[in-house]
Amino acid sequence: MIDIKNLRASVDDKEILKGLNLKIGKGEVHAIMGPNGSGKSTLSYVLSGKEGYNVSGEIQFNKKNLLELNAEERAREGIFLAFQYPIEIPGVFTNNFLRTSLNSVRKANGKVELNAIDFLKIIKEKAKELNIGEEMLLRPLNVGFSGGEKKRNEILQMSLLEPSFVVMDETDSGLDIDALKIVSNGVNSLRDPERSFLIITHYQRLLNYIKPDFVHVLSEGKIVKTGDWKLALDLEDQGYGQFIN
Amino acid sequence: MENYNEIKINFEKFITTFKTDVNDLEFRKKSFANFISKGFPVSRDENWKYSPLVQDLKKFSQLNYKKSGANILPNALMENFEHYSIIFADGVLILTDSNDAGLVIKKNNSFLKSVKKAGENPILNLNNAFADQGYLIEVSSNISLTKPIVIYNYYSKNFLSNFCSSKNFILLNEKSNVVVYEKTIYDSSIEYLITSNTEIFLAKGSKLKKYDLNCNNKHSTIFNFVKANLDENSELEYFTFSENINSCRDESIINLNGKNCFADVNAIQLLSNNCDHEIKLQINHNEEHTRSSQFVKSALYDSANAIFQGKIFVDSKAQKTDGYQLSKALLLSDNVKFFAKPELEIYADDVKCSHGSSSGSVDEESIFYLRSRGISKEDAKMMMINGFLGEVIEKITEDKFKNIFFKKLSHNYNDD
Repeated sequence: MIDIKNLRASVDDKEILKGLNLKIGKGEVHAIMGPNGSGKSTLSYVLSGKEGYNVSGEIQFNKKNLLELNAEERAREGIFLAFQYPIEIPGVFTNNFLRTSLNSVRKANGKVELNAIDFLKIIKEKAKELNIGEEMLLRPLNVGFSGGEKKRNEILQMSLLEPSFVVMDETDSGLDIDALKIVSNGVNSLRDPERSFLIITHYQRLLNYIKPDFVHVLSEGKIVKTGDWKLALDLEDQGYGQFIN
Repeated sequence: MENYNEIKINFEKFITTFKTDVNDLEFRKKSFANFISKGFPVSRDENWKYSPLVQDLKKFSQLNYKKSGANILPNALMENFEHYSIIFADGVLILTDSNDAGLVIKKNNSFLKSVKKAGENPILNLNNAFADQGYLIEVSSNISLTKPIVIYNYYSKNFLSNFCSSKNFILLNEKSNVVVYEKTIYDSSIEYLITSNTEIFLAKGSKLKKYDLNCNNKHSTIFNFVKANLDENSELEYFTFSENINSCRDESIINLNGKNCFADVNAIQLLSNNCDHEIKLQINHNEEHTRSSQFVKSALYDSANAIFQGKIFVDSKAQKTDGYQLSKALLLSDNVKFFAKPELEIYADDVKCSHGSSSGSVDEESIFYLRSRGISKEDAKMMMINGFLGEVIEKITEDKFKNIFFKKLSHNYNDD
C-alpha cells in the first residue's frame, strides 16, 4: 500500500525527519508513538502534502510517487489526514464544504458528482452514525465546535471520502472517554482489508480502542523500534527514555 | 484656488431654466455659494484625506447637467420578482405614481424644510445646488409592505451628459415596514459625475431595510450620500455590496435620536484592477439606550484600494449606548491598499463601545485543510474569500435578498 524510504524533511534548514523508513500493507493498522518534537506531526503533514517542507526520499503509494503530487491530488488518490487541530473556517458552511470535497474526489476518480439532494441523503445517514446533529452541518466549518465535535467531524469526512490510507494525527488529544469511544467506533467501523491506517499518538489509551497490528517508536526523525501492540504497553509503563540517546 | 468659472456659468444657466419655488431657489444659491467658497475637497481636509474623489473630481471643470440618452430601462434588466419600481434612466426619473394603500411614491423636486441646511460637505452642497431629479417614498403608519421597492439607476450606452444629481426622501411613519433594494447598472463608457443624496426618516417603531448593489462603474465618479434619522424603537438595516467600483465615495450619517433605536450597517467591498472605493460612515448616538453595529469586509485583488472610515459618536446624554464596529480586509495581492480609520468619540460615561480593524492574506493553514480534502488550491482560495465575505451577507434578514447577494458572490466564484 505505502512504502516510505529514507524520508527526510526539513524546515528552514532544520531537519525534522532524518531518514524514515516505513512500509504499511493493505488493511494494516500501524501506530506511531513518540515524544514531543520527534517529528510525528511533520510526518503526517509530509504524507498529506503540506507545503513549506523541504522533502527528499521516496513515498510509493499504489505505485505512484506521492512526493510528485500536491495535497489535493493526494486526497483524490485516497490519502486522508485526520487533523490534530481541525481548522475553523468562518463563512464556509460544513454542508457545502463536505459536498465540494466529496465531489472533487468523485470527479477526479471519474464518478458522477452528487447533487444536493443525493448528497444530503448520504450525509444525514453518516452523521447519524457518528452522533452528529444535522444542525452542526449547517454551521460554519468547525466554528464554535467543541473538541469532540471537531474530531467527530474529521471522522465524518473520512467516512464520506472513503480513503484507502488514513493518517490520524493525535486524534485522541482533547477527547473525553465518551468522545474517544465514539471516534474509535467510527474508525473501527471503517477498518477494511482495502484500507490502511497510520495512527499517531502520544498515549497508549487510544490503542485500547483501535488495536494496531504494528507499533513504531519515532525518535529524532527516525523509527527506532518496531513491535506489536504490546510495545505500546511497554512504552506506557516505561516511557520513551529507553529509546532516546 | 481652482477656477470654477465654467461651473458658475453652468449653475447660472441651471437656475434660470429649472422650475422651483423661491425658498428652494435661495437654498440652492446658498448651497452653491458654499460650494464655491471651498471648492472641490482637497486631501488636506482630514475628512477627505484618503478619498479617491480628491483626484478624480478635477476632471470635472464644467458640469453638463442636461440629460440626454435613451431614458428607458430595458426589460431584461428588471427584477423578476414582484416589486414597486423607481427608475432613473440616464439620470432622468421615470415613475408611475403608486396608489397602493399606505404607500406613496412620487417625483419630488422640492426640499423638505427640515433638511434645508447648507453644510460643510462640498459635494453635498454641489448636490443641493444642482439636484434636479428625486423621488419621495412615504409609507403610512402601521403599514408593512409585502412587496419591496426597487430603485434602478441605469446609465445606457447612449448617455451623453456628464453630471447627474438626485435628492431623495424616504419617510416611514410609525410602525411601518419596508424593504428598498437599489441597484445601479453602468453601460455607458463616458466620464461622468453622479451625486445622490438620500434622506431617511424613521418614525417610532418603523423599520427600513435598505440593500444596495453597485457593480462595475467603468469611468463614472460617484458620491452617494445617505442621512438617516431614527426615532424611538425604529430600526435601520443597511447593506451595501460594492463590486469593482472605482472612484466612489459612499458616505452615510446616521442619527440615533430616539430610545431603543438600532442601526445595523454592513458592507462588502470586492475590488480588483485599479478600483478605488471609499466608505465613510458616522453613527451619532444622540439619545440613551441606542444601539449600532458596523460590519465591513473587503477583498482586494490586483492594485485595488479600499478605504473605510467609520466613526461612533456618543453624545454626553447617550448613556447605555451600545456601539460596535469591525472592519476586516483580505489583501490578495502585494499591490493592494486598505486604509482603515476606526474612530470613537465618546462623551458619556456608561457606554459599551468597541472597534476593531484587521487586514491580512488568506490563511494558509485553512487552504491546506481544504486541499487535504481534495479541493483544488484555486477553489479552496475562492471558498475562503467567499466565506469571508459571506459572513456579511449572512446578516441580511430578508431571505430573498440574502440569496440575491449570495448568488452575486457565487457568480464571482464561477467567473474565476
